Amino acid sequence: MTRAPMLGRFRYGYVAPAALLVAVLLYAPFLWTAYLSLTRYDGLSEPEWTGLANFAHLLDDPALLTSTRNTLLWVAGTMLLPVGLGLLVAVLSYDLRGGGWYRVPFMLPYALSGAGLAMVWSPVLSHDGVANTLLGVDTAFLQEAPVNTLAMLLVWTWQQLGVNTLLFVVGLQSIPKEPIEAARLDGASGWRLFRHVIWPLMRPLTAVVVGLALVASLKTFDIVWVMTQGGPGRNSETLAVTMYKETFVASDYGYGSAVAVLLTVVTGLASYLYLRRQVR
Amino acid sequence: MIRRAVLVVLGLVWLGPTYLLIVNASRPAASYDPSRAWAPSGDFALFANFATALESADLGRSLASTALYSVVSPLLGVVIGALAGYTIVVLRLRHGFWWFLLIFGGTVFPSQMLLVPLFVGYSDAGLYDTRLGMILVYTAVNVPLAAFVLRNFYGGVAFSIFEAARMDGASTWRIFWRVYLPLSTSALAAVFILEFTFIWNDLIFGLTLTTTADVRPVMTALAGLMTDVYAGTPVPVGLAAGLVCSLPTVVLFLATQRLFARGLSLGSV
Repeated sequence: MTRAPMLGRFRYGYVAPAALLVAVLLYAPFLWTAYLSLTRYDGLSEPEWTGLANFAHLLDDPALLTSTRNTLLWVAGTMLLPVGLGLLVAVLSYDLRGGGWYRVPFMLPYALSGAGLAMVWSPVLSHDGVANTLLGVDTAFLQEAPVNTLAMLLVWTWQQLGVNTLLFVVGLQSIPKEPIEAARLDGASGWRLFRHVIWPLMRPLTAVVVGLALVASLKTFDIVWVMTQGGPGRNSETLAVTMYKETFVASDYGYGSAVAVLLTVVTGLASYLYLRRQVR
Repeated sequence: MIRRAVLVVLGLVWLGPTYLLIVNASRPAASYDPSRAWAPSGDFALFANFATALESADLGRSLASTALYSVVSPLLGVVIGALAGYTIVVLRLRHGFWWFLLIFGGTVFPSQMLLVPLFVGYSDAGLYDTRLGMILVYTAVNVPLAAFVLRNFYGGVAFSIFEAARMDGASTWRIFWRVYLPLSTSALAAVFILEFTFIWNDLIFGLTLTTTADVRPVMTALAGLMTDVYAGTPVPVGLAAGLVCSLPTVVLFLATQRLFARGLSLGSV
């Protein structure tokens, strides 16, 4: 296709609101954080320049190793459970008559806030709670690593499945009907129809859902914060929780900022590599 | 039919905890016992529990602010993001992919990282503890998602639609407003729901950037109460407050389910 001719003088004006909002309210704070990561700062006295000392500390901090491992567990688990199951539910229900009603049970938990989530599940997972009673075991679901991260991942799946399903359904409903009809006439159905016709067609929206889940899972914070605060000890911390704790609990703004910079770079790199492949 | 059976079984598993939530939120506050949480209670005390929560936290005015934020910010965010997506893929903005990366890049920052700089910046700019400040930050956080989804969506729309509208002499703005926006209703609605829910349930921005009851969002107001559960608020009271404050989101979901259920065939024109 040839490049379209001059399409209106306002093209830069059209992206400006989005670019400005993002630049002023998201990028500028990051630059400030990046500066703080090179200082020692307790939030009260003036930041004191320390160069790369905070980053050197990152390398020999055992807590950081734990939170990196937990974060990777969150990324892998999120792809498998909320995203994978979400795709399954969407594919099973999108062209059923009344399919929307089958999805209602999955959408309800998404309405619940993080604090509400903790309120529902903490009693369920407690030692005399429903999970132990129902399974006939006595597991300390939120105590030992990595069981506590896995338990929280299941809670997270309970909450997030619906939203992934919703996005996949939008993708499925926006794909053209003709190729599917044609493939059906040719005798394709079930798995073959999905694998060879539907899946390639829904790729743009799949890219969105997986991309969002990738970024969100790297930044996992809320669920861990409301369920365990990263504990017991520090064994269920994610990178985002470590960053928050170092900054707001330990008042070590410099080191907290260094963790923030690390997390941002990792997330940015992952999204860039992913988007370059999937979206361009 | 296997598909329906799988959906029903999974759905029932998902409803289990929802059932627990409703049963225990409706239980009289004093009669809660974690080991008997499955059993429904004879007395229905949901409203009494919620009234207790209302008394402990000043929720009325917070609810009004939250409603304002969760409607205005996603509306702005969706339109601004869609316009950016449209400009990048349909108007073929030069270096469009890099503009897209710049805007979508906004999502890589962990929101906890933004708190200290925003607090300092807002205090200097006179935006601290104002509704305008809250609307701005919520809009900024939501623009990247809208731009991402709508950019991909418009990429799937046949370019001939745009060319035909150009032939008829429509301006690029008019084509965006009258053709592309209406075309993408289901994607816009999906993004709106996500952003509405995000803002409605937001805790940390409200915690950091507001202080008065008029400006403070409802979840922040509730949070004190909820975390008090361990320190004395009975579980049913906390659950009832969480449940009632989630109702607007549930209603929104159910309302839009019908929109999605109608099976809008979009993007394939």
